[in-house]
Amino acid sequence: MVRRVLALTSGRIAAAVLTVIALLALFGPWLAPLDPLATGDNTLAAASGTHWLGTDYLGRDVLSRLLDGSRVSVLGSLEVALTALVAGALPGILSVHWGRVFEWTTLRLADTLVALPFLLFAVAVVALLGNGLTQAMLVTGVLVSPLFYRVARAATLAVARSQYVEAAVVSGASTGWIVRRHVWGKILPPIAVALAQTIGVGFVIVSSLTFLGIGVQPPAPTWGGLLASDLGYLSHRPWAPVAPALLITATVWASNLLADAIRDVSGEAGRVLLDDRGARDGRPDRTDPAPAPAPAGGAR
Amino acid sequence: MTGGPARTADDAGPAGPVLEVSGLDVHYGPRHRRRPALRGVCLSVAPGETVGLIGETGSGKSTLARTVLGLVRASAGSVVVGGEDVTRHGPRQWRALRRRGVVQYVFQDPLRSLDPDLTVEDSLTEPLLLQGVPREEAAERARAFLPRVRLHEELLARLPGELSGGQRQRVAVARALVTGPRLVILDEPVSALDAATRVQILEILKELRASGTALVFISHDLGSVAGVSDRVAVLHQGELVETGTTHDVVNHPRHPYTRLLIGSAPTLYSAPADRAEREALRALLRT
Amino acid sequence: MTTVSEGLLPRRAPGAAPDAPAPPVLSLRDVRIGDRAGDREIVRGVSFELAPGRAVGIVGESGSGKTLTCRAALGILPAHFEVTGGSIEIDGTDIATLNPARWRALRGTTISAVFQDPASYLNPSIRVGAQIAEAVRAKKGLRRREAHRRAVELLRTVRLRDPELVHGSYPHELSGGMLQRVLIAAAIAAGPRILVADEATTALDVTVQAEILDMLAELRERTGLALVVVSHDPAVVARLCDEVLVLREGEVVEQGPTHAVLHDPRHEYTRLLIAEHEQYGLDRFRTTGEDT
Repeated sequence: MVRRVLALTSGRIAAAVLTVIALLALFGPWLAPLDPLATGDNTLAAASGTHWLGTDYLGRDVLSRLLDGSRVSVLGSLEVALTALVAGALPGILSVHWGRVFEWTTLRLADTLVALPFLLFAVAVVALLGNGLTQAMLVTGVLVSPLFYRVARAATLAVARSQYVEAAVVSGASTGWIVRRHVWGKILPPIAVALAQTIGVGFVIVSSLTFLGIGVQPPAPTWGGLLASDLGYLSHRPWAPVAPALLITATVWASNLLADAIRDVSGEAGRVLLDDRGARDGRPDRTDPAPAPAPAGGAR
Repeated sequence: MTGGPARTADDAGPAGPVLEVSGLDVHYGPRHRRRPALRGVCLSVAPGETVGLIGETGSGKSTLARTVLGLVRASAGSVVVGGEDVTRHGPRQWRALRRRGVVQYVFQDPLRSLDPDLTVEDSLTEPLLLQGVPREEAAERARAFLPRVRLHEELLARLPGELSGGQRQRVAVARALVTGPRLVILDEPVSALDAATRVQILEILKELRASGTALVFISHDLGSVAGVSDRVAVLHQGELVETGTTHDVVNHPRHPYTRLLIGSAPTLYSAPADRAEREALRALLRT
Repeated sequence: MTTVSEGLLPRRAPGAAPDAPAPPVLSLRDVRIGDRAGDREIVRGVSFELAPGRAVGIVGESGSGKTLTCRAALGILPAHFEVTGGSIEIDGTDIATLNPARWRALRGTTISAVFQDPASYLNPSIRVGAQIAEAVRAKKGLRRREAHRRAVELLRTVRLRDPELVHGSYPHELSGGMLQRVLIAAAIAAGPRILVADEATTALDVTVQAEILDMLAELRERTGLALVVVSHDPAVVARLCDEVLVLREGEVVEQGPTHAVLHDPRHEYTRLLIAEHEQYGLDRFRTTGEDT
């Protein structure tokens, strides 16, 4: 799979961009030329020899803040995406295979999570578990997980009702075998797309929680936080939001590119599933002699 | 795999029937609105025998097949597969039984019964790997089996999408047979194919029968399985209304539904008078 | 009462043209259909004439060009295909001269069709009766109440057991056989002279298939409806048709009276089709059964 993704130009570009960002996240804090928290008199300065990207409203070096904030930002949004994946996709797959009780419970749970007001829930959990980035990201991940639950469940349902899965069952395959051999490859593409989306959403959520003082505490920099504070001084430094915005966009774009590449190489079944999701929005044409798409909806 | 299950298979011996269904009732639907799908079905298949199971949509023929495969639970009666009473089997026992490869199934639509992302080799080795056969040996056995369904070795690396309909169905047949099952259930195995391939598959199945495997052909059309079946069993509204040798059933049908089936089967030389007879039979069945 | 087909069976005219006095309602002369983009010819010369009350059958695999031939006669060829040669006349009018408005007037009232998958031709959210009434009103300009009455009458004509009940049902409440009858009812709503049945019974159980074929035969005798029956199974065609064309890869490999083609097939492919029935079908038991 990895080799096939890298055979595509888009796959290589995505991998390259994501590698650079991963390196930033790993080594960013050490690469920062100045103390990211040191304030100075030279506020809202333009780019110069000492401050390559200028300074912010407290005179802090923007480049250093970006580099220093990269680890928290990237790790934060990854944490959101992975939590959502584990809390959503896994029950989504198993809800099809593990009998009615599990199916019913997880479906109701997913509905409940969608209905919960996000901020209220975040505040409540932080009050219970204490404030911290990990707690905040866990909360966010759990709240985003219904997306993964639905996507995984819909994709698995379509595969589980297929004859080749039944043929495998008749040959004595266990649930684990079926998921590994027949289900996983087909639900990976839609899940990869959802994951890429979630990574993008993760940046925004990390920053919006910063506003509330949840997760990252204010002096510590994050990409989303930088973007938010720069937007407040748009009249003084109109070009300032470009740098953090560019980083966020590049990450999200590369994730989406990677998701597309994964979809393209994962065989016709994966493509059909994705096309199917798009096509179902349109109503079937009355005179169209083509057979109606197989019922694959996850919602009941 | 442990040595345990293999012993039971030998105990059954080749002499007893590979399938014995007696007094089988199957119900569908929620508890307060249960509808019978099968009522008191008795059917037995001897080793190497070919039985045609005939019935229309909703007659229960697929339910019967699925019950034998353990995909549907019986509400009464018993099912004995290869000498083993499977009526009360739980999921674990079923899996053990299936992994021995005693019963296999061939679906009607070869396009959907093969995983589109798996190569022919992967599809063919799957049942063997599930039996616990090592990967190399499984690949070797799959390769060795191909000539029996008249497929070329170079197809092993292909995906189902790169094969013709006839080739796909031969792969599906090969997958069902590669474990050397004693009973194969085939659900309309040729109806989705063109004439030349249909004849070819039927030839392959005929050879198979000669090698001692029992076959159950499921079809809505008595005509399409008459030529390959030793015996036929006719299902009508969940009940077995007629069983007998194909010759007897075709020439001396007793139940009006069987008579209608025979009268309806597309034949090349039908007499116009059949029309009135069919009409009379339909009226009779309606009451 | 003997059927028309029975009366025709002993005739062994080698040619295709029926010498019935009535002029043909549909005639195809050396029709060729090709790919619009390239040089690929998919149908290479199909000719037949269809007189009122007669039935012609086209036998062939999927991809043999039988469906394209029908679609050409109905003027509904897919966008990238076109008739590249020959002529098609419906009721004496060359279809090449028809404009869209005249085509609309012709379809339904003169030529009509039913296809394999009835469910996809009905709107799932409208009761079937209303859909038939719509066809009736569009073609005959009847008022709502008359259209309702006529729709029920049509459902009775196609031998649905409870026409009023079917009239008020949604497509998903009906079986495949019932849906196909509904479609036939809609197809004959405006009293066409030709009905094209393209694999119309293929997906149905044999008993239902026989019922529909019987109904079509009866319709043909009673109203003089001319039929074009398309199937992959020669037996289906044999039950209904006076004349058979066997199509293979776009070419007519055999053509003649049904009886002659079945008893004395000349082409290898026709022999294969017949051999399959005699070897594996019921025919084998019937013949050996009589012997013993």
